[in-house]
Amino acid sequence: MGVSRRIAQITGGAFDVKAGSLFPALHRMEQAGWLTSSWGESETNRRAKFYALTRAGKKQLHSESERWERISLAMATALRTT
Amino acid sequence: MIRRLCALWNNVFRRKQLDRDLDEELQAYVELVSAEKMREGASPEDAYRDARRDMGGVEQVMQSVREVRPGVWLDRLVQDLRYGVRTLAKNPAFTLIAMATLALGIGANTAMFSLLDQVVLRLLPVRDPERVVIVRETGNHYGNSFGPNTISWPMFEDLRDNNQVFAGMFCRFPATVTISGGDRAAQIPVELVSGSYFPILGVGAALGRTIAPDDDAVPDSQPVVVLSYSFWRSYFDSDRSIVGRTINLNSYAMTVIGVAQPGFDGVELGVPAKVFVPIMMKTEMTPHSDGLKDRRRRLSWVTAYGRLKPGVSLEQAQLSLQPLMHSILEMEVQQPEFTRSATPADREPFLRNRAELLPGSDNDLREDMRRPLWLLLALTGAVLLLACANLANLLLARATAREREFAVRLAIGAGRARIVRQLLTETLLLSTAGAVVGLALAFLTDRILLRIYLPADAAAEFVVSPIPDGRVLAFVVGVMLLTSLVFGLLPALRGSRTEITLSLKDRSGDASASGISLRRMLVGIQVALSLLLLVGAGLFVRTLRNLDSLGPGFPTDHLLTFRINPSLNGYSDEQTKSFYQRLDINLQTMPGVASVGFSVMPLLKGYAWQNAVLGKDFEGAPIEEQPVLNHVGPGYFATLGIPILAGRAFTAQDVGPAKYAVINESFAKQYFPGRTPLGQRFGLVDDMRPVSPDIEVIGLIPDKKYRDLRETPPAQAYFPYYQDAHFRFMNIYLRTQADPRQIENELRERMRQFDPHVPVVELQTVNEQIGLSLRTERLVASLSAVFGGLATLLAVIGLYGVTAYAVMRRTREIGIRMALGAVPGDVIAMVMREVLILIGAGLAAGFLLALALANLVRSQLFGLNPRDPLTFLGSVIVLTVAAGLAGLIPALRASSLAATTALRHE
Repeated sequence: MGVSRRIAQITGGAFDVKAGSLFPALHRMEQAGWLTSSWGESETNRRAKFYALTRAGKKQLHSESERWERISLAMATALRTT
Repeated sequence: MIRRLCALWNNVFRRKQLDRDLDEELQAYVELVSAEKMREGASPEDAYRDARRDMGGVEQVMQSVREVRPGVWLDRLVQDLRYGVRTLAKNPAFTLIAMATLALGIGANTAMFSLLDQVVLRLLPVRDPERVVIVRETGNHYGNSFGPNTISWPMFEDLRDNNQVFAGMFCRFPATVTISGGDRAAQIPVELVSGSYFPILGVGAALGRTIAPDDDAVPDSQPVVVLSYSFWRSYFDSDRSIVGRTINLNSYAMTVIGVAQPGFDGVELGVPAKVFVPIMMKTEMTPHSDGLKDRRRRLSWVTAYGRLKPGVSLEQAQLSLQPLMHSILEMEVQQPEFTRSATPADREPFLRNRAELLPGSDNDLREDMRRPLWLLLALTGAVLLLACANLANLLLARATAREREFAVRLAIGAGRARIVRQLLTETLLLSTAGAVVGLALAFLTDRILLRIYLPADAAAEFVVSPIPDGRVLAFVVGVMLLTSLVFGLLPALRGSRTEITLSLKDRSGDASASGISLRRMLVGIQVALSLLLLVGAGLFVRTLRNLDSLGPGFPTDHLLTFRINPSLNGYSDEQTKSFYQRLDINLQTMPGVASVGFSVMPLLKGYAWQNAVLGKDFEGAPIEEQPVLNHVGPGYFATLGIPILAGRAFTAQDVGPAKYAVINESFAKQYFPGRTPLGQRFGLVDDMRPVSPDIEVIGLIPDKKYRDLRETPPAQAYFPYYQDAHFRFMNIYLRTQADPRQIENELRERMRQFDPHVPVVELQTVNEQIGLSLRTERLVASLSAVFGGLATLLAVIGLYGVTAYAVMRRTREIGIRMALGAVPGDVIAMVMREVLILIGAGLAAGFLLALALANLVRSQLFGLNPRDPLTFLGSVIVLTVAAGLAGLIPALRASSLAATTALRHE
């Protein structure tokens, strides 16, 4: 829950990731080895599953971020020149 | 990669565990969210409900997580397979008929093509077999010939030494020899081969070496043999020390120099050679017939083969051989042996003879089997078409019946893709099961067919494998799969687009109106093809019955026959003659034997000894007009039950020097018209020397068949065998008092005691022999009858299905009609009208098709016209009655409906 809440927070509500999209995405990333998961206590003292980036996950994040930077820069430039 | 495999592994085998984890995780999430909502002031129930609603349903999320797991396709496949097996099992009639249809189509075609491929189409198992050709001389032959593909030894030498088109030539001659040693003796087929045989074919040795040119340089000099691999295994138990040892062939000690490579049984497919001998040893292997040293140019006995030079096509080679062949013929026509056996009028046609090249795998057996086997393949092709039509019909019916099921599944949220995938799985399941059964069927059928088709001893050795041919299996399975897919999926695709509500509400909606006309057409096609197959079956069965009832012109019951050849044991002419005379007396005293007849030529086996005859006012004749001749013993006519019409039969006292003959009525009519045949004289034309008519006719017999059952009895003349100068093989006929099979074993034992070194060959009753000679006809008749019956059954099932469905769709209409006063008879008439129109259309198409195709089988028929009215009419009646009954059942059911039930039907 923390993950979708945090996304909504950061993007100022622009992205509202529903559970139906979130869970498949988390599981897919876990299967790809980018995330590890473990059970723990939430800040409200309830049982919750925690996801953390693995080393491979960080690398993937880094390269995906770079890719996004490039694309968004290109898009922004393209939009500005028209 | 490894991680992915691990994940796949977990998903497949630890699914329950994963699902439990996921469930827990989602529960925790829901609780977190609802706890938060409660903090915001919602009541516990509202919070929990809202949390689940926001999330979009726990089950749905779980499903979408499952969808992204790596092994999901496997999951679905297992699900689909399970569901498929369940639905197929729920409808056993459909499943059984569909599987049987598939199995029939796949099995029949695969079996028949495998047989055709191996018996008729297969090439020699040698290096580049398509480059090996037979070189033969076309046209009429003058002199002695061992068969249409043979040429003389001198002609072979001339061709070998002077041609420009072959990388090399070799020749061969098939013979039968007696192999003896220890306490066993047997007659085996051998191949006498030139020294170039193995090198040019490119056949190597599994053990030792093969025959080399050096082994075949000087006549009678190299008593060596190469064993065929299968003979080495069966007769010598794969004894590796066999190389270097000697074996006795015709009592000559021959040294085994090697074993040929596995799978190679000589160049005559169907007649596997067991031993290969240099052709220079011909004198030893074929006593009394010395083709090598007897250099007559019109004595044809070797089959010549050539390997085409690289880049030379068969047509080019044939063209470039003509001048060479012509120059050889120019020379031969001058020689006395030609001028003696041919008239001056024969010169011109003889000089027009040409060299002809045939594929190296050609032989007489293939020539005989080609047409019947192609015919059977054509029949199975029709069966395949029919099976496809039937399958299509079944699948269409099923898809229509399942429209409501699909509608329900669509309504509760199944995707169209999922439904299509489900159907695809089902179809594949059905096809695979059908293919497996079909394959088993093909395997069994081939084994049975081979057993029927080949003589028992050849079947054991003949390398026709019952393993079906892969290519044709792929083709047939492909065709049937395509049918299944097209007719199983298309309606489903259409069905998945139909308005759900319409399908659910109203079964008799127009959603599948086009399906019924397609199904009608398919049934029409089935009826047409069934008629075609039934007509074929009728023609072939009647042909077989005609042949069976023919008879050879003498009683065949209680008649036993076998063949021996003591000359293959090294017995001289005198010894053999004495052997036969003692044996004759010995067998006459055997209990249960009424009389004994000796005959040099076998009866009704396709063989004939023909020779031109001359007399006071006639001389010579082309081969087709020459009489057939035979040497027989004193008891021959009595044993075969042939009466003497005039004069007398031979006695043991007719030893010469005067020469005697018994002739049949045709001979008398042809050569002594209008005269009393007794006391007339004739002579046998000989190309070695001039002859005079010195044979006196002492007896006259009625016409009977000689070569086979189909012939009109030819002119025949018989001579006493003991007046002949040479003694070779003998066919012995025994008339027994009781069932001849009872004394078979006793006879074998008696022969073994008489002379253990002379093997008894082909001991059988004459009825068995005749039955065997009709095996091709029997095979064609029985298979076509089976196909015709199955085809009719399938067509009837199809027709029943379509009619039943049409009646069901019109239940309401029928109810209204009956409410308005229609009597049951009207309803039956209404339904049957459509049925009869359908049958009529199918029959008309089938009738025209059968008429058009009938001529193609003319050569396979006997004693009836290919457009035999009885057969055509009979097939039409059988099919009409069967199909009419199939339509009548639903019609009767419809007519017995109460009007109220019918109206309430929806």
